[in-house]
Amino acid sequence: MTRLLVIDDEPDLLRVLARTLAADGHEVATALSGPEGLAAFDAAPAAIVITDIKMPGMDGIEVLKRVKERAPEAEVIIVTGHGDVDLAVEALHFGASDFIAKPFRTETLAIALRRAEEKIEIRRRLAEYTLDLESRVAAATAELRRRSNFLANLIRSSNDGIVATDESLTIVVFNPEAERILGYPQQDVLHRRRLVDLLPAELADFFRGAMQAACSGRECPWMEADLTAADGRRVPVRFSGSVLVEGERKAGAVAFFQDMREIRRLQRELVRTERLAAIGQTVAGLAHGIKNILHGLKGGSYLLDLGFARGDDQKLRKGWDMIKRSVERTSNLVMDLLSYSKEREPELAVCSPNAIADEVCDLVRERAAQGGVELLRELDPAVGTVCMDPQTIHTCLLNLVSNALDACLWDEPGAKRWRVIVRTALEPGHRLRVEVVDNGSGMTDEVKAKLFTSFFSTKGHQGTGLGLLVTRKLVEEHGGTIEVRSALGQGTTFTMRLPFRPECPAPPEGDRKAKGD
Amino acid sequence: MGKRVLVVDDDPDVRVFNTTVLEENGYSPEEAVNGEEALQAIRAAPPDLVMLDVLMPRQSGIRLYRTLKTDPALKAVKIILLSGIARASFLKSQQALTEFGGQPVPEPEFYLEKPVDAEVLAAAVKKAIG
Repeated sequence: MTRLLVIDDEPDLLRVLARTLAADGHEVATALSGPEGLAAFDAAPAAIVITDIKMPGMDGIEVLKRVKERAPEAEVIIVTGHGDVDLAVEALHFGASDFIAKPFRTETLAIALRRAEEKIEIRRRLAEYTLDLESRVAAATAELRRRSNFLANLIRSSNDGIVATDESLTIVVFNPEAERILGYPQQDVLHRRRLVDLLPAELADFFRGAMQAACSGRECPWMEADLTAADGRRVPVRFSGSVLVEGERKAGAVAFFQDMREIRRLQRELVRTERLAAIGQTVAGLAHGIKNILHGLKGGSYLLDLGFARGDDQKLRKGWDMIKRSVERTSNLVMDLLSYSKEREPELAVCSPNAIADEVCDLVRERAAQGGVELLRELDPAVGTVCMDPQTIHTCLLNLVSNALDACLWDEPGAKRWRVIVRTALEPGHRLRVEVVDNGSGMTDEVKAKLFTSFFSTKGHQGTGLGLLVTRKLVEEHGGTIEVRSALGQGTTFTMRLPFRPECPAPPEGDRKAKGD
Repeated sequence: MGKRVLVVDDDPDVRVFNTTVLEENGYSPEEAVNGEEALQAIRAAPPDLVMLDVLMPRQSGIRLYRTLKTDPALKAVKIILLSGIARASFLKSQQALTEFGGQPVPEPEFYLEKPVDAEVLAAAVKKAIG
């Protein structure tokens, strides 16, 4: 039910109008003049005001203005007489919702009223809708803020260093862990540095390439890398990254990295602990080697005694040879033991792994030929020259090739044609793979289990039992891995993987001088 | 001609030492460098005594000892084991092989752990074969 206020200075007309409208179900108030009407409006505001335009004192236009001042949402219908068209237009200008001309039929008034009611209804709905929209926007904004805070929190509290960039690879996110690992305060890098400035050349190339429109490679899988910290130090990390895509567009890049310094330190510690434990176990195993050497020394001195007593040169020579060999074996054993227990940093130099493999093969060629073992080389020429520790490759390869020969020489006799293959190849990520394959005796699971973990020799007087331990230690100090596959009676394959640098960094000036001194 | 003793050892120094001691004490030493070669020599002409190393390529002393002790024709051949391996370890290996389906073998009569003095070696040989 709509509340109406009807204002007209003609009491008869007013009464008829009021009655008609009330009969149509409206709540109707009446007033005989403008001021009276406004007073009634103030007392109880009407949704629709119907006012005559020509009234003494205050005319309809004035009433319209004042009603609109009081309540802009109130609808005002102006009733005009003949020749009031100009006034009616003015009324519309001041916000009248409609006008009807006297004399009018009830239907005309009803239509005007309905239109006014519809306008009120639309406005109400619009208001409701706007209110609803506003509250929804507020809720969505709050949710967005919550999520964004959550994500920001996630990034802030991550144990991974996280760096994100825009499409020009300029850094826009640099979380506290990234600050800790790299030593840059956030404000020094945000919008000031590019991700590629922090990365080694290989990874920088990946990101530059991946940002190019044509390039489809977007993921850099987890790998180990060295990042350069603010103070210039290299920080070993596990690294992964990817390009962020929005629709068709490459929007930026993100990199994740984990500090490996502590893990590396623990690994070194573990290796050292294991090594000390192995040396403990070694004492028992060593006893066997030492007993054999002592037996040789006793034999040597026995022959020397005989030689001296009888002036027998032949016995003297034989005895002296035995003594010398025993001294040599003692020296080998002690040197192995020392090199195993001592920590050593790899000494990087430009070298050719294939040339080293050739040298090693030359060293054992005679022994192989005597034992009827074929020695094959499958050296990949692509290996070329690299920056590695040549001593590590030489010692490890010699140990493995000697072992492979022994595995053939100690094999049960049969129809087998024994062979040892030395193989080199490059692997992705700047790794050299060196394989030594034999088809000799192979190993039992028991032997395999003991291989690297303790002092252990199956070779009687020949082995110090330290060869593989030394090999593994050197490989690990070089940041590489060594693994073994073996089948009893069929042979064994040892695989070393050693990281290298394509080029050797020039030694710093201070270093060179120190070495010169 | 003294009694025949086969010295089996892959280490040439040990063979020189042992054979010299044997010659000095009036025996006739022969040599073999591994278990396989030794078995051929023993089958061809069984010696009075085998002086046997334990860890050797091409059939170890552990295997050869079993082969000799379980062969009716050869089990009478006297054996002195001479090794850097402790007697207990040798016995343990034999026990393990017996458990894995091998015939039981007697414990060795003479087991010497390296290093051995010439006199001790000579005394053991004398005790074994006179």
